[in-house]
Amino acid sequence: MKKVSLFTGAALSLSSLAFAGSFQLNLQGMRQTAMGGSGVAWPWDASTIFYNPGGLTRLEGIQAYANIYAVSPKIKFVENGTGTTAETINKTSTPFALYVGGPIKAESKWGIGLGIYTPFGSSANWGDNWTGRYVSQSIALQSVFVQPTLSYKISEAISVGAGFVYGFGSVEITKAIPVQDANGKDGQATLEGNANGVGFNVGVQIKANENMQLGISYRSGVNMKVNKGNAKFDVAAAAASNFPDTRFDTELPLPSILTIGAGFKVNEHLTIQGDVVLAGWEVYDSLKFDFEANTPALQDTREPRIYQNTFALRVGGHYKFNEHFAAMIGGAFDPTPSKKNYLSPDAVDANRYSLSGGITVNPIERLSIMAVFNYTTTAGRAVSYEPANLAGTYQIKSFVPAFGIAYTF
Amino acid sequence: MKYSYLSIILAGAIFASCKPTIEAPVPDKGNADFTTYVAVGNSLTAGYADGSLYRSGQENSYPAMLAAQFKMVGGGDFKQPLLPGEAGWPGLRRVLGYSKGCDGVTGLGPILYNAQIDTAGSIINIASQGPFNNVGVPGIRCIDYTTAGYAYGALVLGGVGYAYRFYPSPLTDRPIDVATKLNPTFFSMWLGSNDVLGYATNGGEGNGAGGTLPTDISPLSAFQSVYQSVVGAMVSKGAKGVLINIPDVTAIPFFTTVPAKGLALTSDAQVAALNTAYAPLGINFTLGANYFIIQDAAAPGGLRQIKSGEYILLTIPQDSIKCKGWGSSKPIPRKYVLDATEVANVQTATAAFNAVIKTAADANGLAYVDANTYLRTLQTGIKYNGVTYSPTFVSGGAFSLDGVHLTPRGYALIANQIISAINSKYAARISSVDVNKYDGVLFP
Repeated sequence: MKKVSLFTGAALSLSSLAFAGSFQLNLQGMRQTAMGGSGVAWPWDASTIFYNPGGLTRLEGIQAYANIYAVSPKIKFVENGTGTTAETINKTSTPFALYVGGPIKAESKWGIGLGIYTPFGSSANWGDNWTGRYVSQSIALQSVFVQPTLSYKISEAISVGAGFVYGFGSVEITKAIPVQDANGKDGQATLEGNANGVGFNVGVQIKANENMQLGISYRSGVNMKVNKGNAKFDVAAAAASNFPDTRFDTELPLPSILTIGAGFKVNEHLTIQGDVVLAGWEVYDSLKFDFEANTPALQDTREPRIYQNTFALRVGGHYKFNEHFAAMIGGAFDPTPSKKNYLSPDAVDANRYSLSGGITVNPIERLSIMAVFNYTTTAGRAVSYEPANLAGTYQIKSFVPAFGIAYTF
Repeated sequence: MKYSYLSIILAGAIFASCKPTIEAPVPDKGNADFTTYVAVGNSLTAGYADGSLYRSGQENSYPAMLAAQFKMVGGGDFKQPLLPGEAGWPGLRRVLGYSKGCDGVTGLGPILYNAQIDTAGSIINIASQGPFNNVGVPGIRCIDYTTAGYAYGALVLGGVGYAYRFYPSPLTDRPIDVATKLNPTFFSMWLGSNDVLGYATNGGEGNGAGGTLPTDISPLSAFQSVYQSVVGAMVSKGAKGVLINIPDVTAIPFFTTVPAKGLALTSDAQVAALNTAYAPLGINFTLGANYFIIQDAAAPGGLRQIKSGEYILLTIPQDSIKCKGWGSSKPIPRKYVLDATEVANVQTATAAFNAVIKTAADANGLAYVDANTYLRTLQTGIKYNGVTYSPTFVSGGAFSLDGVHLTPRGYALIANQIISAINSKYAARISSVDVNKYDGVLFP
């Protein structure tokens, strides 16, 4: 009965830092969101800094653009066998985007811009007492990318652009530790840290003719690194020396995104567009935690994720009623990068179907006010997280309203 | 403005479909009838844990867990002969705590619960509150089941009176009579462990070839005949049920916690002294881990080193090892050791008894749970929703602080094995138990 050996069985398995497939947010521009997330071909506004930096020279002038989303996905879990259900506790997060940019002056071949946006984020709080609490209680991941961008019009038909990306963000994770105190209360691990990484965003925008435009963009992967995050443990006193508060390092490789798309102006009212998106999720093979202090109970961990690359399809249409009013509608199919035997509750995902729409109002010539929504749903997906033997069916539903404003100088 | 009208309807429809719609499948009783469920068995069935019987242990017994799941498919109330308090009866239960050894070192381990025995008067007969659905009696063997006046006999023999407490006529009742009193429509039976366990936990000092004392291994013929009569009586009115076999007790922490090679020598002087002392017997010691010295009448000098595959019991006084030279300068007494022959006796009997149980299940068309194999998988770890359970004492989470009985979580794991066997035998869909809802070992 040596003291040290008492806790090896309770070794913390940090199965689940939760940055999942689902954590890619496709919410960086209002019109694009309303059209199923498509938009690499058509430079609608300054948000093309994100969607296709090549389109920046196409704007009519320097534009300032801001939008904000209210995201509060609802996730439900039905466990295999017990039939126990759990739902995430609702918390609204607000991804946003700010863009300023356009041709440096009228008829210039050069365009410049700056984008600040939130391409990845995730939050799921299952509460402290559900059956999967030893895998995950809560996860909150936030990221903000800053992208200074330069665009150059090679010819009337072809415009290219490139931006440097600096990403920063934070992660906070809580999970229960299976060491109960005298009152039966579980231990708890809290991991908090700041992350950062760099990448780039390049694109080519082609104006094939008056009615047809094409686009291709490549956003590089960004390896978000957490250096010396804080790991705190709240466990029964008898186990405290096995779970010393310490520092941890980890990294999350965000995938590269290659998008190819086209847009057609069907008539003076209607424009339709579509994108094919290849996401390089393969980089997300495993999630590792390196703790500064190790004990028999607190070991470095490596959890398999084994993500796969995905092809997503996005389509949408824009109907311009008159100079003041337009409406949009769209849809998307986003296959999940996750495998069904490696799906952790902190990164729930499934093939996503979404429907979106919105309106833009131009009360005066240079001002656009935009209101859009995105509705995303998944079928119930029966999965397991094998490293923890937690199995059940998950379903996600999400309704995201958003609001934006743009002004061209 | 018909467009905005349309958009309001659309928005409304979307909001309404914002909630996930998946639901758990509806439980189903299949072709079994759970109206009246009776649990037959011993201490494991009674909810014994941490070296004693106490109320929350009973409330978290695996039959109580099963009854709660059966209730979702038409099961009725489930009455247990509950004790009034938490301290343990008749002795205090164990909890994890700190104690100072003879060497002055304070360590974490099982200590007696620091409380007054609050269950005084527990021996008062409560049969009038019955009949009870849980008729599990700590200590009872299979071969006791047809003994008239078992409850009284157990008391006279110095027993505790668990059965005496709730049997309607303790002077004359046979346990089999008490088990059939409710005319169950469904029963579970986890019986037979004590027919080998008593022998094993007494260091194999009883009769390993078959005897009727509590420290003997029960004779196979008697075991077989009584087991068959109990099953026969249970099914005589058409009840369906599940039989659970006996775990190999040599795999439980009671036998595996104190290592055979646990004599740690840290100085050359110690090694030299022991080598000199044991030179006539040709026993040699080295720095580091050595096999303990045990009594063995058949060995030269009446002692030898214990071998791998032989076990030292959890009940051995730790201070005698630490400070009185047990296992080094003095041999460990036989009653704390299960030697190779005794281990073989236990395993042979367990296999034979389990064959009887399997045959009875097949002959009567009953569900069957191979608890022996299941608990053996604990060796490599059983994972459940992020927790890994193992047979390791204290930290393994599945065994309680007596090293023999389970924690509520351990009992819940067994309950799920039983449910799974019932579901497949009777084409039922009974929900399993949420193991993580229960407690494991609690730390100060």
